Amino acid sequence: MKNHYLWITGVIGVVAFDYFFVPPIFSFSVGDLRYLILFAIFLAVAILIATLALRLRMQVQESERREEDTAALYHLSRQMTALGDLDGIVAAIVNDATHTFHVSTWLVLLGERMELTVQGRLLEDVADEHIKTWDIYDSGLNVEVCHWVLRYGKVAGYGTDYFSKERVRYIPLKTEEIVRGVFALRPNEDSIDQLDRSHHLIEAFVGLATMSIARIQLGKEAQIARLSAESERLRTVLLDSISHELRTPLAGILGSVSGMIENATVLSSDDQCDLLFTIRDSAMRMNRLVTNLLGMVRIESGMLALQRRTCDVADMLGVVFRQLQDPLQRRIVDVQLQTDLPPFYVDDVLIEQVLVNILSNAVKYSPDDSRIDIQVIEEDGTAVLMIEDEGIGIPEGDEVKVFDKFYRAESVRRIPGTGLGLAICKGIVEAHGGTICAQRGHRNGARIVIRLPIDESEENDDGCQNSSHR
Amino acid sequence: MGAKILVIDDELQIRKLLKVTLQAHGFIVLEKTTGSDGVLAVAMERPDLVVLDLGLPDMDGTEVLQKLREWSQIPVIVLTVRDNEIETVALLDSGADDYMTKPFAIGELVARIRVALRHAAHAPTEPVLQVGDVSIDLARRVVEKEKQMVRLTPIEYDLLKVLALHAGKVMTHHQLVREVWGEQNSEATSHYLRVYIGHLRKKLENDPTRPILILTEPGIGYRFMDFA
Repeated sequence: MKNHYLWITGVIGVVAFDYFFVPPIFSFSVGDLRYLILFAIFLAVAILIATLALRLRMQVQESERREEDTAALYHLSRQMTALGDLDGIVAAIVNDATHTFHVSTWLVLLGERMELTVQGRLLEDVADEHIKTWDIYDSGLNVEVCHWVLRYGKVAGYGTDYFSKERVRYIPLKTEEIVRGVFALRPNEDSIDQLDRSHHLIEAFVGLATMSIARIQLGKEAQIARLSAESERLRTVLLDSISHELRTPLAGILGSVSGMIENATVLSSDDQCDLLFTIRDSAMRMNRLVTNLLGMVRIESGMLALQRRTCDVADMLGVVFRQLQDPLQRRIVDVQLQTDLPPFYVDDVLIEQVLVNILSNAVKYSPDDSRIDIQVIEEDGTAVLMIEDEGIGIPEGDEVKVFDKFYRAESVRRIPGTGLGLAICKGIVEAHGGTICAQRGHRNGARIVIRLPIDESEENDDGCQNSSHR
Repeated sequence: MGAKILVIDDELQIRKLLKVTLQAHGFIVLEKTTGSDGVLAVAMERPDLVVLDLGLPDMDGTEVLQKLREWSQIPVIVLTVRDNEIETVALLDSGADDYMTKPFAIGELVARIRVALRHAAHAPTEPVLQVGDVSIDLARRVVEKEKQMVRLTPIEYDLLKVLALHAGKVMTHHQLVREVWGEQNSEATSHYLRVYIGHLRKKLENDPTRPILILTEPGIGYRFMDFA
């Protein structure tokens, strides 16, 4: 609809009025000259109204187009927020851009090793569902321009001041000072005009795409930073814990020995005996630490070989009690075994180690002359071992964490320990296909519950799994 | 004159420790650092007992033991490390008399040396073995606890007899099964062994969950308490 149509229709209307209604009718001659004024007013009104109508229609069209643009942007932004992975976001950007602008679209991203990866979709195979991935040199893009855009962060290629002979427009995906990639568009014959008109929409599109890609990339970087911070923390904890746990008994040994060497003549035999006991206890403590560390390493490295055989739980408990003879002297240990317990088909040496660790904890964290209850029952080929003490218990919220290696609850910082004992228990029990958990006991102490498959047939079922431990 | 003990260990600190403490207990101590020197020393010096470390530079403990056992019945106590039960059992089954897990208490080692020397001397067995409040009359096949007769099945009695005759010395599952049931050694018999040990403990121990007569050596076998 052009402006001259307005004039033509206006004039035709006036002429028709003159011919049909102005006397003499059926003639173009005008009898009364006053009619000429009327014609002029008539024409002016016609053109005014037509102009207004035209403008209204154009506004409707414009707002329809805006609505489309908004819908396209809305669609893209909704996808961007929903998607959490870079590939999905790149695919969504490329697809939406291709459909919205009717252009071939590429997205060039800088990889971890500074290599360029290109993903895109050509207008020719728009029917194809999936976007394609190319090496930068096979993509049909100008590598030089890509690098230029990545370096300077300016729009280049078709319709711009730089590399304007190119048929593709290269737009940087730029957040603050960092260019995260290049968005490349190639219009075909039909969509060239549209590309110029959709200037703002493209800007909005690129802005959205940049934000989303930046979000994912920054999220990744944050995660890596968090992970390395975590492993850094673990390493520090490990070093602190081990150096403290090794140095304390060493200090005891060296101190006692040098005391005995230097003051051999002044020390009474009782004093010497005291010092010797200190040396022995310190050495035993170091031995425990080394054993635990080695156990942890074996479990972590997957070198834990289960030597299963049928054994008696009473027998195992006997061995454990003998090992813990001294510490258990000042505790009342109550053992309740189900009367018809079947034999356990487990690695007795390892399960004994589990029991030793748990009972040592029970002793360590409970007052003298308190009770330790041990209960063993069997349910459908699974043994349930419960060990409950009257000690300080496990702080609420720490029931799972106490099984993490090197984890020690805040409340027991004063009591020496490495935080390895329960982690080893967990490793051993899980290697048997069982579970171990910590609870608050009836008398507010700690209660450890172990569920252990003890049927001989169990092993045949998971034989492959076990062979991987061997 | 104390017994002559040959220590085969490449660690200077351990040799020193053993030399000082064993000499203090009245033994004469010889030292060798390699397996081949050790085997040679057994032939030349005629010691009464060998303390053999398993981690030697020139050959492993099994090999040394094999070479010794080709021509000598000298008692051998092996020094092993934790988590090495399979090798320990293999050594015990192929002729080692006992083992010690490093780190160990000297008192325990001396006790084991004494037991091994006593068994090697083939001292005539007393007709009545007295262990704590349990007495075993081998001639009459009667077992008493606190002067009360304990009824044992024939297999229980045989098992107890084997254990008591080797009092103080570790017996592997395999050795016990061979002594009690003859040569047949299978999963089933080692299962019986476990059951009969349980029966014996119920009849003889004051608290079967805390045995003091028949001790379990985890992963290895059993040891009858030595009161001698």
